[in-house]
Amino acid sequence: MSATLMESGAVVERTDVACPSFTAVLHAEWVKLHTVRSTWWTLLATFVLGAGLTILMCWGNADWLASPEADESPGSFITWGMMVAQITAVVLGALVVTTEYGTGMIRTSFAAVPARGKVLAAKSLLVVLVFGIVGTVTALVGYLGGNFFLDREGIGMPLEGDVLRSMYGSGLYLAGIGLFTVAVGFLLRHTAGTISVVLALMLILGNMVNLVPGAVGEWLTKLMPGNAGSSISTPVAFNPNLLDAWAGFGVFVLEIAVLLAAAYVVVRRRDA
Amino acid sequence: MIRAHQLTKRFSSGKGQSKTAVDGIDFVVEPGRVTGFLGPNGAGKSTTMRMILGLDAPTSGTVSVNGHRYAASPAPLREIGALLEANAVHPGRSARDHLRWMAASNGIPTTRVGEVLELVGLESVAGQRAGRFSLGMGQRLGIAAAMLGDPPVVVLDEPVNGLDPEGIRWVRTFARQLADEGRTVFISSHLMSEMALMADHLLVIGRGQILADCSMTEFMGSHAASYVRVKAPALSDAAALLDGRGLEVSRVDDEIRVIGLDAPSVGELLFRHGLMVHELTLVRSSLEDAFMTLTADSVEYHATTAKEVAR
Repeated sequence: MSATLMESGAVVERTDVACPSFTAVLHAEWVKLHTVRSTWWTLLATFVLGAGLTILMCWGNADWLASPEADESPGSFITWGMMVAQITAVVLGALVVTTEYGTGMIRTSFAAVPARGKVLAAKSLLVVLVFGIVGTVTALVGYLGGNFFLDREGIGMPLEGDVLRSMYGSGLYLAGIGLFTVAVGFLLRHTAGTISVVLALMLILGNMVNLVPGAVGEWLTKLMPGNAGSSISTPVAFNPNLLDAWAGFGVFVLEIAVLLAAAYVVVRRRDA
Repeated sequence: MIRAHQLTKRFSSGKGQSKTAVDGIDFVVEPGRVTGFLGPNGAGKSTTMRMILGLDAPTSGTVSVNGHRYAASPAPLREIGALLEANAVHPGRSARDHLRWMAASNGIPTTRVGEVLELVGLESVAGQRAGRFSLGMGQRLGIAAAMLGDPPVVVLDEPVNGLDPEGIRWVRTFARQLADEGRTVFISSHLMSEMALMADHLLVIGRGQILADCSMTEFMGSHAASYVRVKAPALSDAAALLDGRGLEVSRVDDEIRVIGLDAPSVGELLFRHGLMVHELTLVRSSLEDAFMTLTADSVEYHATTAKEVAR
């Protein structure tokens, strides 16, 4: 032990050891995640809503989309369900963090792992991985089902280019939403509050800033997290004024990074 | 061993005011004995315990566990086992899964989970969701969690709260056993009667300050003042006589209380003066009374500012 002893009362800092390893913390967070039913219910909802609604919308709109009076692209419909499925990412992102605060378990967590940044990082990584995978798989299933109906009308799309990008883009977007909510959850520590704030920001405020007149409103719309991030999850956005897929996602990632940094600072400083 | 040095915690209570929950306290919790941490509700017990575990950051001063800052430990659960509040578990997770994630976080082998479940007698319900547990089962799960890392220091915050008599006896025996194994055992309570049966050493806190830090025996000797109760037909005469001998005499209803002389001597004195005695009893005031006396100021204080202290 390389620590030096000081006068009584003084605390000896340990320099030879690190707190529980990140792998251990990640393992612990994984056990936490998969041992509650709400995780599985939420992910099932992601899949059913994401893939199911896409297929339903493609089935219902295929003949219209193929007709001359169609003023939307079939590319806007092939990941339609993800617009609804994103709500489940908000829910799970919040639950992963806020149930711990709600039950007081967060103290057990921080007593077991005093390096709180690792807890935040492990939760973040798991949410990103889970939604990256579930989001992509969901989008793919939705594509396979939806494209079947589009194909019948002769407007099917091959799985390449922007369509392919929108598949893993859906995974990336859901992962981003989940991560965004994890950060908000650590800041607010309250389940209902976290879910309301994120949904209001994504779904309501994201559309309302459109009402701000002129270029200001236009840019606000482009930069709102839900709008900036969602372009990547669809081959052709309904709103033609949004940022390009990757530029928008870049903005979204920056916004998440700012929130995560704020959460990190607050979680380390605040008494648990 | 737990060592606090000038440990202070202030909370801001809004309007630019602050409330000192823990006020520059020094103490050492030694291994091999049960140390009771006693104080009225809101005296600073839980805040102190949270600071020991690095959950609350001290405003100033330090607290160390086994000579180190707790947060710097490579495997904190092997350093301190803590029960902070019962039912601080996800209601939808089973007891076993709760212990499994804790074990995983500190690299403790999963086999240990079964061992601690057996230790607290929860094996049969380990697969049940913790939300269905009674308060007593929740406390047992909390203690199982505390013992997961087989730690040399065990901190239990109000462990007997809500337990039935059988559960209370179990915690008492368990704490004794841990101390006998040479561990540091630090138990908080607001019930003196419980501490009297459990603790070897006492740390009394009130209004964020240490009011007493001594062995249980010392505490009883110095704080639990005893008196001799005398009942006699000629009560006034007896009182006057004893008072004349420089003893502290007080009259309460139909009895007088004498401090400063033992019961046989009081009896002999009265006999020699021809006074008839109906009752002569040595009354030891209970520890609860001693505790009340000691912390009377802080309790009174808290009664008026309970809102400020509530967290």
